[in-house]
Amino acid sequence: MTDRTAFDQLKPTDLPAPPQEAIGIVRACARPNITSKRLADLITHNAVLTAELLRIVNSAFFGFRTKVTSAAHAVTLMGQRALRNLALCVAMRDALRPDAIPGLDMAEYWEQSLRRAVAARCLSAVTKLDAEDCFTAGLLQDFGLLVMLFIDQDRAGDWWRLATANPDERYSLEMSLFQMTHDRVGETLATAWELPQELRQVMGHHHTPILETSAPELNALCRVAHCADWMAAVFTATDKRPVIQRCQHLLHEHYGLSAEQVADLLDDLAQGVREAGAAMGMRVGEQLTLSDVLREANLQLVEDNLSYQELTWRLEQALEDRDRIAGELNRELELAREVQRSLMPRDNTGCAGFHGINTSARELSGDFYDYFSTRSGQIHFCIADVSGKGMNAALLMAKVSSLFRCLGKGIGDPAALLSMINREIIETSVRGMFVTMIGGRFNPENGLIQIANAGHLPALYLPANGPIQEFPADAPPLGIVAEAQFVTRELSLAEGALYLYTDGLIEARPRNGGELGISGLKGLLRRCADVPAAQRARRLLDAVRDAEIHDDLTLMFIDSKERDRSE
Amino acid sequence: MSADVRMQAEYAIVSLAGEIDLHSSPEARKLILTCLQDNRPTLVDLGDVAYIDSSGVASLVEGFQLARQRQLDFGLVRVSAAVLNVLKLARLDKVFPLYPSVEERIKNAG
Repeated sequence: MTDRTAFDQLKPTDLPAPPQEAIGIVRACARPNITSKRLADLITHNAVLTAELLRIVNSAFFGFRTKVTSAAHAVTLMGQRALRNLALCVAMRDALRPDAIPGLDMAEYWEQSLRRAVAARCLSAVTKLDAEDCFTAGLLQDFGLLVMLFIDQDRAGDWWRLATANPDERYSLEMSLFQMTHDRVGETLATAWELPQELRQVMGHHHTPILETSAPELNALCRVAHCADWMAAVFTATDKRPVIQRCQHLLHEHYGLSAEQVADLLDDLAQGVREAGAAMGMRVGEQLTLSDVLREANLQLVEDNLSYQELTWRLEQALEDRDRIAGELNRELELAREVQRSLMPRDNTGCAGFHGINTSARELSGDFYDYFSTRSGQIHFCIADVSGKGMNAALLMAKVSSLFRCLGKGIGDPAALLSMINREIIETSVRGMFVTMIGGRFNPENGLIQIANAGHLPALYLPANGPIQEFPADAPPLGIVAEAQFVTRELSLAEGALYLYTDGLIEARPRNGGELGISGLKGLLRRCADVPAAQRARRLLDAVRDAEIHDDLTLMFIDSKERDRSE
Repeated sequence: MSADVRMQAEYAIVSLAGEIDLHSSPEARKLILTCLQDNRPTLVDLGDVAYIDSSGVASLVEGFQLARQRQLDFGLVRVSAAVLNVLKLARLDKVFPLYPSVEERIKNAG
């Protein structure tokens, strides 16, 4: 079939040829006054059909104690309707030859149908419906699918997907493959072939068993077919667990069966399919028992649980590891912080007039300041800011701090000292890291200050009177250019104060405005000029304390007034 | 920060825009170093950079140092006022070659 949408307008000529003999029997049975003798004659008229029916009736599946020897005997034992059903099943079985659909294993299709038939027959006991009606309904309810595959034979290759899907999945899959479903095709065929009314209903409505109909027994049969579909799928669907759950739900809802009773019904299927297969002359493969299925489903469940447990366990482990590592890291950071703090002067003992403060935006700071007095009585001081932040900045800061302390004791001239530190840093510099730094020395004897500025923010000298003087960088930061030339500049502390600071201070954003900036800092310094030196650093920081501070913040100053008092 | 690399003549032009800070500078660094590791003379266009912190400057410094080591031309072009202010304060304007535009540099380099 080339035009798949033609399923919407199926014509009788599209369908397989109807089994005329069986249809004749069905028609006869539909007549109100048909006698058993007339029906038996009708069947006997077809010798092949008669032989097949007798073979089936005498099989273990029906379990008659006496051997049935004729159609008339069969009608007497089974009743007209049961025999009609049987004739119909045989006729439908033979309506399509085993090789009618290339690529489709017809026997597999019938084995699945047989499982539905046996399941439906099992349900007859709890529904009070006729066992053979149920069996026939189960056997033929999905005949529409066979017809669709017969019409659209290119789809035979999709059979295995349909065969391993559960009823809902199969329904959706049919829509995507054929743009049509087997119930509608089945109903069309049942009408065209004049199949019995209950069979037409079942073929057309076993997926939607709640019918707008006044015949409750038809509803009941459709419901049985629907449940049988799910019961059979327990043995064929790939994902068995949801199918088992669905079965339990359906059979409980419709028939009030317990899970155990459902298990009992399903337990009977394997044996039933073997017997029915033998009776109907249909080849059936090895039948899984319910315990096989449950084992498979449980195994899957156990595997899922294990992986869930394992996931939980791994997550707990990961959280424990994280906490442990974080704890270790925090201890390491605290130690590093302590070491860093020890690199900065704790008070101004021996260095009267010197004050400093450092607050870190992170655990570890890239800023530092230092001052110390030498034997000659001079005081060396510095402030520095390492590029970047965190551990790498802190390590470089420690190195620069050591170099300053170590080399500072031998090299007096600040420019020469910075030049030496610069070369040392460049030898081991990584990732373009650099250090802005002001190095200086103060001579308490004459109040003379010498400073060299390597890429650092301008030092600010606040005299007792007059404008603030800036001492900007004369050279780039340390660690960039080996041949950089540093310059020592001189000033007299006199009655003033010299302030050194890092960018954290001028980039602070006080609540009432934008960045403090150098001019803002100058104003702040003027306002705090009369605050006693010991409290001034804190007061200056307090002024920007409410500000959003992104960077380390460091301030150091030399104040003449305190020096005067100390002398 | 947004970043982009294009070729102009034999130069790789790394255009950076927005804020180059501790979070974004690794990307800027990677782009600059990749160009230089490919032995391409490299210009970093900073015309649209609103803010640069010391980690961003360090990325430029690393590029500058690698270019010197490999004897490749390296420079900053269209340096925005915000960046220039930072560079000037640190006297880095005397370290990095600064050019008004890519075209200007390429023309004079040729």
